[in-house]
Amino acid sequence: MKNAVAGVGLAPDAAMVTFPVNMFLPGSDIAPLTQRRREVYDGLLKWKSEFAQPAASAKMLAVEGATYEQALVNANNLLLANLWGDGLPLWPATKERVDWILQGATVPRAHVLGKFPPRGGITTVETCAIALAMAGGRPEYLPVLVAAVDACLAAEGFDQLQATSGGPFPAVIVNGPIAKQIRLNSGFGLLGPDPQRPAGASIGRALRLLQQNVGGALPGVGTMAIFGTMRYTNAVFAEDEDNLPPEWQTHATQRHGFARGTNSVSVVFASGVTNVRRRGAKKETPEEDALNGMWRMADFMRAPNLAALAGWESGTPGIMMIAPIVARRMAELGWTQQSIRQFLWENSRIPMDQMRRAGAPAWIEIDTNPVTRDSINLDPWPVCQKPDNIVLVVAGGGHPTHSYWLQAHSPTVPGRIIRTPETFERLLTDADRDLGCGDDVCRA
Amino acid sequence: MVKLEFHDPSGVLEVTQPHAPRLTTLEGKRIGFVSNEQWQAYRMLPLLKESLEADVPGITVLPIDAFPQGNALIGEEETARQVKTSGVDAVIVGNAA
Repeated sequence: MKNAVAGVGLAPDAAMVTFPVNMFLPGSDIAPLTQRRREVYDGLLKWKSEFAQPAASAKMLAVEGATYEQALVNANNLLLANLWGDGLPLWPATKERVDWILQGATVPRAHVLGKFPPRGGITTVETCAIALAMAGGRPEYLPVLVAAVDACLAAEGFDQLQATSGGPFPAVIVNGPIAKQIRLNSGFGLLGPDPQRPAGASIGRALRLLQQNVGGALPGVGTMAIFGTMRYTNAVFAEDEDNLPPEWQTHATQRHGFARGTNSVSVVFASGVTNVRRRGAKKETPEEDALNGMWRMADFMRAPNLAALAGWESGTPGIMMIAPIVARRMAELGWTQQSIRQFLWENSRIPMDQMRRAGAPAWIEIDTNPVTRDSINLDPWPVCQKPDNIVLVVAGGGHPTHSYWLQAHSPTVPGRIIRTPETFERLLTDADRDLGCGDDVCRA
Repeated sequence: MVKLEFHDPSGVLEVTQPHAPRLTTLEGKRIGFVSNEQWQAYRMLPLLKESLEADVPGITVLPIDAFPQGNALIGEEETARQVKTSGVDAVIVGNAA
């Protein structure tokens, strides 16, 4: 509630009377409201904001320690005590570290991207750099983070996505050469840690810190995410453009119309991650392998994910991620991106009697979008208005056994072009120097 | 002693409008509800209406559906306009969760 009022420009407090959650459940005893009604009256009569207008720019904090290590511990303790941490070790955002990160900026540090909802903290490029510094990031990651933040701030209903109990998290899909340049993973283990390709973890963690610290999405207070899946680092990964089948387009081209070779982000708000064992067993032909796998993917999609109603017309029901080797084999068999989407859309439709037994029609009836409300007349009911709403991404390790379905709560799928500074090449050279080359990550 | 200085990561808040002034009394006032129609608001807000009417002489409490209801509507400018033009002295908003 404090976030909500701050987000519309009021002081971040309000006259509130709070009760334990039990009173808000069906059939509950609401007598405590009568007992405490005078508190409600006082809210109309006596309440006064205690908020003092802060300084116009981010203030500096300070800690001391007998050694550097002790000072570092004290800094982390201070960050946690102020509810600005995530439980993992943080780099304090010192002036030196933030100035270093800002070498990746293309606009002045004070450039305002917007107010981060629902709390409404003013988000500048410097604010992003502070979060990225804390998250262990590097200057060459900043352009991606800034574009992702810009996309999030433009997302329809982002304030509600931040706060809702379903706990959606941003899945940031990166296209363009910048992905490989900054060591962003598109292959094995792309949704998890990878010491050779650490960019996604830092960028996603920085985005999460911004969501929490600037946007107010503090668990149980500013976000009612009951489970909070993927909320240490969100999901930041690249499409494997090098291994797209011939004639296939990148996600950025299909969804946003960005030409191949353009650096861009695309943000889907996902609410879950599901592994799909798509490869068959025993004797099977290539055609059977492909078709059986497609059915299994469609079967996982055929669920009354009512949070996805928010994106039924214009957003997405989710991201279907298929490994490049699978995409290549399917393309050889004549499947196209369009025919894959069409198959998944047609075969993930849910018979209305199954919708009814799940109580789903009531949610459709109260949806704010008349197009979505009208969908109640469709039987079987499609999980989105049209096949193109399904986000199909080629990424993952070079192995054919699994696909991955990230179900969504995504009213829109905003995309943004990534801008890089003139000094970007030098930043990449510095990264080669600092991080080593591993198997294949250096550019030379 | 080693000193570490670092940025506050919480960003800056900008207060652009004050909270509404509080009333001096509820007696004789006209009170409305803005309901998100969730979390048992359909039971709790009528109970609050009854309480106010029983406790405060001369108060007028509008029905809970006097203004648009539901999360999608209560933040709209049109709802704010209806509240302003209704002549209420104050509104109670519920139920957040």
